[in-house]
Amino acid sequence: MSQRLQNIKNHLTQDNKISSNENLSLLKKTKNPDDVVIVLANRSAITKGFKGSFKDLNTDYLLLQFLKEFINQFPSNLKNNLSLIEDITCGNVLNVGSGATEHRAATLAAGFPYETSFNSINRQCSSGLTAINDIANKIISGQIDIGLALGIESMSKNYKNINPLGTISENLLTDSNAKKCLIPMGLTNELIAKNFKIDRLKQDSFAALSNQKASLAIKNGLFKDEILPITTPDGKIIDTDEGPRDNVTTDSLSNLKPAFIKDPKKNGTTTAGNSSQISDGVAGVLLARRSIAESLNLPIIGKYLAFQVIGVPPEIMGVGPAYAIPKLLSKINLDINDIDIFEINEAFAAQCLYCANILNIDTEKVNPRGGAIALGHPLGCTGARQVATIMRELEEDQIGIVSMCIGTGMGAAAAFLKE
Amino acid sequence: MNGYHMEGFSGYSVKYSPFYDNKLAIASGANFGLVGNGKLYILDINNQGKLEEYNSFITQDCLFDTAWNELHENQLVVAQGDGSLRLFDITQKDYPIAVFKEHEREVLSCNWNLVNKNTFISSSWDGTVKIWSPLRPNSLSTLIPNPMKVIEYIDRVDIPLSHQNAHSDMTQNRNCIYQSIFSPHDPNLILTCAGNSYITLFDMRQAATANNQQNFLSHGGLETLTCDFNKYRPNIIASGGVDNAIRIWDLRMIETTRGNLSATTTTRPKCVNEVSKAHELAVRKVVWSPHESTLLLSASYDMTCSVWRDLSFNGKVPTNRTNNTHIGKGCITRFGAHTEFVFGIDWSLWGKPGYIASTAWDGNAYIWKGY
Repeated sequence: MSQRLQNIKNHLTQDNKISSNENLSLLKKTKNPDDVVIVLANRSAITKGFKGSFKDLNTDYLLLQFLKEFINQFPSNLKNNLSLIEDITCGNVLNVGSGATEHRAATLAAGFPYETSFNSINRQCSSGLTAINDIANKIISGQIDIGLALGIESMSKNYKNINPLGTISENLLTDSNAKKCLIPMGLTNELIAKNFKIDRLKQDSFAALSNQKASLAIKNGLFKDEILPITTPDGKIIDTDEGPRDNVTTDSLSNLKPAFIKDPKKNGTTTAGNSSQISDGVAGVLLARRSIAESLNLPIIGKYLAFQVIGVPPEIMGVGPAYAIPKLLSKINLDINDIDIFEINEAFAAQCLYCANILNIDTEKVNPRGGAIALGHPLGCTGARQVATIMRELEEDQIGIVSMCIGTGMGAAAAFLKE
Repeated sequence: MNGYHMEGFSGYSVKYSPFYDNKLAIASGANFGLVGNGKLYILDINNQGKLEEYNSFITQDCLFDTAWNELHENQLVVAQGDGSLRLFDITQKDYPIAVFKEHEREVLSCNWNLVNKNTFISSSWDGTVKIWSPLRPNSLSTLIPNPMKVIEYIDRVDIPLSHQNAHSDMTQNRNCIYQSIFSPHDPNLILTCAGNSYITLFDMRQAATANNQQNFLSHGGLETLTCDFNKYRPNIIASGGVDNAIRIWDLRMIETTRGNLSATTTTRPKCVNEVSKAHELAVRKVVWSPHESTLLLSASYDMTCSVWRDLSFNGKVPTNRTNNTHIGKGCITRFGAHTEFVFGIDWSLWGKPGYIASTAWDGNAYIWKGY
């Protein structure tokens, strides 16, 4: 009797029955027709803000050039029938209205039929990743079958024109919490460095390592597959990242002056060298429902697993990934050690180091081809750029997490399985 | 809706007679089938449309399933908790006309071959599937689905119900073969599903060795409680399990497309449709409609039965749609009159299509219109 009772009991208590370890192997084995899969993930080269190759390009032109190349990668049955892509979400931070008008125009110029709808999305530095989540959710809910997530930013064109932080009304400034949303990002990082005791040396060596990893990746042609060439109006073809410098060392970085706390007595540690660069770039991720991708014979390079975003105190917004990643892992019942690669955006060395250390992540798993300190951080583009990168870093059946901190105090993280 | 209450017994399985348009058989057990007698009810639908008892048989252990003999209008076999199968003649009283005793543990399902009609099959908690002829006391064949790469958690020791040795030795449900059925298209094909989350397809034209079977993980490591062959599409099956999902599979093992970086292909059956969260608790039974190729009936521990439209097929060709893309997940009817776990469901073969019989732990059997 007790065994029959136990048998029935087991049918009713599925929760916690599968441990994280077993869940991992099952996750890799299971292919369901409703899975959201990645068909393609590419990016442009990331160029230097104000002086790089894209400095004079408006985002709509940049997007148009990227989309032309991106569409070229599609299998012909999709290329010749772009209306199969039902919706496009484009992450962008700095354009007026997040570029809702000019980027819709760029999709039309690139050959998308007007039936393919467009929306722009802005969750600060996570906009590119949030765009992917937006498209994935639409596929999960059954609203669409194939969608395109984009991220684009020209910091050259838009960073200085407008106050990137925006303004807050006088009435709100009396609220101590509301006011914190205006703290410059660099100062939030100084708070992390100070509170969690991450000294200048650690930050500089982390930054130097990022440059070395990125330079080596470029030298070995590891980005070749993910970068699509952009043709500038004067006919130049740009297909190489401009940010990484291979001669950067911890020593050479130690000479730089603090960029945010200028008073020498206050010992600022955040410098131009150990912060993310101001950059321009664009990236795109084509997502589809597995049943549709298979019926159209589209390539499947990976599977979208989950996305989570969580708020953190605005004054230490850089800790975002340290909260978003555990939340994400608990949702998908995985352990931090199950993850093979982490792409954690290097907004600043101190915050990225803090997150990797507090989560006990093996340093070799973090940004193996360098991060934003070397490659640059075109705000709205970054999340999608990281996905294009991680899809090449992961090997079959490996799981990767893309994460970043978000200005005004948030962290976002998404998990992907390489197929 | 038309009901019948089985005083003191909980329903496990209900089957319409393939010969009489007014007869139903119900396998049931006392004390929710956990301990005590079983009872086989033969119910008639009378001229007023009411259910009434025609005959019944008390057995010494719970009955988990029943199947009508496809060659004899008065015979049916039952799957009993003591490891035996019993053949009853509904015109007789009290005793079975044959007993088939080989299984070492509870027999969880039985099914008559619809094509050959002279064999039936049983599956048991002892991890075996047996093929029988009603004319022979011993089984014709024993099939053992590969234990396969048994997923680790199944071996994990659970919290015992008591400190008695007999109670702490729980091997859980790994060996439970919850259902085994013959294909309605080919007398040689047998489908089974088990507590290790695997579905196994046997072809009887091959020797019954460990390698001559196709297994695949069907419900993400959680127990697969039920499976059924589609009556119109020979290569399509449905399954349900403890993950609350219903999945529809194409057994043709179509190669799946892989990324351009990898040339490997997989040839396991392809999941062509799924209804995630089809029920709020485990799906206990799925049965394809005898009248329409895209209608599926399910029963669950959540006390409801549902009729689903399989949206991955439009009656002629695959649509590549899944039910989760539909706002109501393709659910046509949800039947909520039962007040306990629903274990038994069957489509009526008779009259206007769409009538369904169901039976549950609440001791009730209902006949209702599914669509």
